[in-house]
This record gives sequence, structure tokens and C-alpha cells, in this order.
Amino acid sequence: MIQAPAWLQILSRSAAALFGGYALSYAASACLARLLPLSAADAVIVATLPAFVFYTGAILWAFASRDAVRAWAPLALAAPLALLGFWPQALGWLA
Amino acid sequence: MMMWVTGGVLFAYVGMLGLCQGLERHYKQVWQRPCPRALRVGLRGAGWLALLVSLLLCAQAWGWAIGPVAWLGAMSLSGMLLVMLLPYWPRLAVGLAAVVPVWGMVQLFG
Amino acid sequence: MKNTFTQSMAWLHTWAGLIFGWLLFAIFVTGTLAVFDKELDHWMQPEVPATEVSQADAARRAVAYLQAHEPQAGNWGISLPTERSPGLRVSTGDRRHGGGVQLDPRTGEAIEVRDSVGGNFFFRFHFTLDLPRNWGIFVVGALALVMLAALVTGIVIHKKIFKEFFTFRPNKGQRSWLDFHNASAVLLLPFHLMITYTGLVIFMLIYIPAGVDALFEGDSRAYFNAQGNARLEQPRQLARQPGQLVDVAPLLAQAEARLGPLGGLNIRNPNTAGARIEIRPELGNRIALAKGQAMVFDGVSGELLSDVPQWRAAPLTQRVMVGLHFAQFGGYPMRWLYFICGLVSCVMIASGLVLFCVKRGRKYGNGTAQASARRWYRVAEVCNVGFISGLLLACVALLWASRVLPVELAQRESWEVRTFFGVWVLALLHAGVRPARRAWVEQLLLVAVLCIGLGALGGVGDAMRVGVVLSALVMGVLLGLVAWRVGKAVPAPIRAKAGRNVEAGA
Repeated sequence: MIQAPAWLQILSRSAAALFGGYALSYAASACLARLLPLSAADAVIVATLPAFVFYTGAILWAFASRDAVRAWAPLALAAPLALLGFWPQALGWLA
Repeated sequence: MMMWVTGGVLFAYVGMLGLCQGLERHYKQVWQRPCPRALRVGLRGAGWLALLVSLLLCAQAWGWAIGPVAWLGAMSLSGMLLVMLLPYWPRLAVGLAAVVPVWGMVQLFG
Repeated sequence: MKNTFTQSMAWLHTWAGLIFGWLLFAIFVTGTLAVFDKELDHWMQPEVPATEVSQADAARRAVAYLQAHEPQAGNWGISLPTERSPGLRVSTGDRRHGGGVQLDPRTGEAIEVRDSVGGNFFFRFHFTLDLPRNWGIFVVGALALVMLAALVTGIVIHKKIFKEFFTFRPNKGQRSWLDFHNASAVLLLPFHLMITYTGLVIFMLIYIPAGVDALFEGDSRAYFNAQGNARLEQPRQLARQPGQLVDVAPLLAQAEARLGPLGGLNIRNPNTAGARIEIRPELGNRIALAKGQAMVFDGVSGELLSDVPQWRAAPLTQRVMVGLHFAQFGGYPMRWLYFICGLVSCVMIASGLVLFCVKRGRKYGNGTAQASARRWYRVAEVCNVGFISGLLLACVALLWASRVLPVELAQRESWEVRTFFGVWVLALLHAGVRPARRAWVEQLLLVAVLCIGLGALGGVGDAMRVGVVLSALVMGVLLGLVAWRVGKAVPAPIRAKAGRNVEAGA
């Protein structure tokens, strides 16, 4: 396997931290807001309060993971979470 | 209120001092001799007790909603003060505990 | 990144800390100063008298002034004198910030007050870096996130949190810097985490509107209505018929009994049958931030139309977190706790930045290292000086500008801001042309002298202004001590050089 130059690795991991982290915290908040058994107004707040914990976790993950591809795992994780969070909208688009 | 606040900060300092002196290396730092085991346990216990008193005093000053916030701040800052005093003036750092009886006197008779 | 988890976390901590630490330091310093924003406001506008007039009398005089000068305005805003802000200010229209006329609470006459950005500048810079507002809050939000990541990685890489809980070993170069960085970070960890996280919570729905997007189709108005924040409907019809305004004093008394100390009031559609009087509490009667809350009275009958709402658990949680950040509760003792904690945070960040250079100084600071490595090291060194002591210099320069710039200067406020940024740039340039240690000493000494000299500008009429001057004096003395200490530490490199000379001679 060819080792990418250091600066490219750093760039890729930083992008993974920034964008992957944002996607994860956005999707996780949406999913939580949908699943929490609270009124909509309360669910939004309770689901968004921990968003930055997810984001921090994703940042650490992006720099701790073994290789630069795994660093993007939060982005991959974001997809199913977003689907859960936005399933009525998703059904609307499909129909 | 100021008496309660002062007391809260004072007991937070004494609490941190107790916990600190209950550690082998910091006891040695001040007294240049090892700390007997019983004294170490006693110092630590007194430290935790003083922190508890500090919490009560903060709650007395600010109420139970705001008091714990002030308590955390007081513990942090007095810990910081202690850390800065210890290497330069170790005896003074310990001697500050003598303010407690003064505070108590003022509280009782002031 | 690196081989082990700890190593990669250390890498992240070092580099994220260095690159973002310079701006984080600026955010923490201005945030710490913003704890006393109103006090600085008061000091920067020495024309505002310190008086002890009851709020009811002040409000009556303000209403009389507005009746005489602005009877047709659609909205009257009145900021009442409070403990922290003894001025009485009236304004019209919907301009919430700035503008308006300062009145003497004793007479109700308008007084000439110099234009000044006031301590409010530090508050605004703290969450926007003086960028356009929306850009600013995103940049500061991203920086706060980096701070959070730096705190967590810092905990991960600090192996001896409890063993070295109380440890500080001075006069040992790099060891001492690391000890101090660790001690200030660990002992104040609750504060660091709290202030960073609650800072993110303030604008969380702007940063991550996921919940609103998912449950309200991105309609933030629908979301606010669901929160029960819907505005009382304005009586458009009645607002065209003339009406007699009720006396505000009894309403203020009623509101004070319900809300605690008051901050000010708004009178919408004054002198009409549809007049509404909104009375808002001073922030800080409790932890939860009461921004935007008000009791609304009918302006003609004086009847209470809407009371402050009771918060449900979830919004209350958010309000408490935001309130913890704004630090408006608990009075002056709490303000001082926050201020000193903030100072320690600033010093913690600064010590981390300095540590970066101290650690690499031996390797890159002399002629043996590669030219490019040496150049990057120099950049870090210059930025350290320019962003740490340079920022302090800019802050104290702003205070001087508010007093020294001619009172009649047009656009005085923007000249104050230009002074702030101009001095900052000059400090960076100065750091670039001077040897690092000299630059540190010179800039820190200048900050110290300017801080100590604030009292010489006069205009110290009351306890609050004396407090500002005395605090600046103490800061100045402390910074002077730091400058002296940095200057005294010069012999170390000279000794090293002497050692080399001996070797060369041998």
C-alpha cells in the first residue's frame, strides 16, 4: 500500500473531523429529536444539547483512527442516523 | 452575605490544603519529614470535611441553586492559589489555615 | 496519525492548541473582561453621573422627557439605573443597541455623553471577533469546539492527573511551564469545560439546526411558536386612537415584587389607546438567563396583560446552561469568581502556547537547525508575542482611546476600534523585528505601565470607577512582575553560549 504524504493525511483527517463531525452531530441530533418521547419543542432542545459531545468525539476519532480512510467513519455513521431523523421527509421524497 | 462568601472560600482553601497535605510528597515539601499514616488519613478526612462545610457555606450565601456553582469555583481557585504558594512559601500556604479560627470568632462575636 | 492513541492525541493537542490557541486566547481575554462590561462602560463614559435615584423617579423623569421630545414615536425604550449601570438612557424606534439619549436621573435633563464602544466592545468581540455577526459566531463556535477537543485530548494525554494534582516546580524551565499548564488546566477543569460547552449551547440551534429541520421542516418561526414564545398581538386599531398614559411607578413596583430588580421598560404605541408597557427584569436574579422576558401591562388601564412564562424542564435546562455562561447571577462575589477563573483560563492557554516554543527552543532556536524549521519556529514565537502580550496591549489601548480621543471626534466609536486593531497590528510588527525575549519584556512592560496609568486619566467620580482603576492597577503590577521575571531570566541562553565558547576555545 502506498503511503500518502503527511500533509495530505493531515488535510484529509482535518476535513474528516470538520465535515464528518458536523454531519455526525447534525444527523445524531435529528435522530434523537425524532426518537425522544417528548413534545416536539422539548425534543429539539434535548436532542441538540449533546450535539457537541458527538462532534468532539468525531474530531478525536478522525485523528485517532488507524488509517486515513477509517477517519471518515463518522460520516458513514451519519447516513443511517439522518435517515432515521428525517424518515417522514424521506418517505415524502420517495412518493 | 459577605461573611458566608468569605467562609465558603476559606473552607474551600482549607479543604484543598488538607487533601494536599494528606499526600506524602507535599507533606514532605512543607515539613521535610515523612508523614505518619494516621496523620495522613486524618488530614485527608479533615480536607473532605472542610470541603463539605464550604459547600454548606456557599449554599448559605447564594442558595442551593447557585451555591454549588460558587463552591466549584471556590475549590478550583483556592486549589490554584495553594499550588502557587506551596513551592515559594510553603509555611505560609499552611499558615493560612489559621484564618479559620479568626473567621469563626468574627462570625460568633462580630 | 501516530502509532498509539495517546501519541495521536498529543499531536492533535499540540498543533490544534498552537494554531487555534492564539485566537482562543483573544476570545478568553475579552470574555473575561466582558464579565465587567457594564463597569467598563461606566468608566469609559465619565460624563454619566453616579446617582442614587429610585427607579420609579428615574422612570417618571424619562417618561416626562420623552413626552416633551418624542410624543409621536412608536416605541419608547428606557434603561433604568441599576446597581451596575447607574445611567438613565432613553431611545425611540426599534434600535435596541446604542443610540438614544443619556439623561441625568436627578433632573431628567439630557446630558452630553461621549460616544464610546464601551465595555460592550469586549462582549461583542468575545463572540464575533468583530467579524460580521453571522460569520463571527460560526468562527467563534468552531474555535470553541477546538477548545473542547483540546480539553478532552489534554485530559487523555495527561497521565498523572491525580498524582500531580498539586504539583508546581518553579525555576525548572520547560518542566515549570508544563506543571503550570497542567495545574491550571486540571484544577479549573470544571470551569474550562463548563464555559466552553455552555458557550456552544448559546447558539446551538444556529450551529446545528437539525432538530428544527427534522421536526419543524426548518421553520424556525414554527419552532419558536411551539416554545410558547409567541408575541402578544399588537392592537393595531387601538394604536390609532389617542390615549392617556398611566403612571408607570405603581407598575414598576408590581413588577419588582414579582421579578426582583428591574432593568428597564419599553412603552409601545405611547399616548394611544393601544399603549403597552413591557417591564423587564435585570438579568441575573437567578441562574437561568432571563433575556427577552418581560411583564406586559396595558398602558392606559395599567392592567397586567401577560406575565413572565414558567419554563418547562427542557428550555429551563438550556436557559440555565446559557445563564452559567453569561454569569449574571450571584452578584459581585460571583462576578469576581468568574473573572478570576477566566484569568486563570487565559493564563492556562498562554502557558500552553509558550510551552510549545520553550520545548522546541533548544532544537530550533539556534543556528544548528534547518533554515526552514528555524523560520517556522520564529513564526510561532512572533505570533506568541503578538497574540498574547499584543492583545493585552490592544485591550488597554482601547481603554486609553476612550478617554484620550477628542470628545467631539466624528465617528469616535470606530476610531476606538481602529485603535484597538491598530495597536494589535503594531504589536505583531514589533514582535517581528525584536528578539523574542526583548519583545515580551517591552510589550508586557508597556501593558503594565498603561494599566497602572489608567488612574491618571482622572474622571474617578464614584466607587465603580475607582474599582475599575484599582483592578487595572493590580493587573498592571502583576504584569509588571511577569515582565520583570521574563527579563531576569535572560542569563540562561548567554550561559549556554558561554559554554559553547569554552568548548570552542578548548
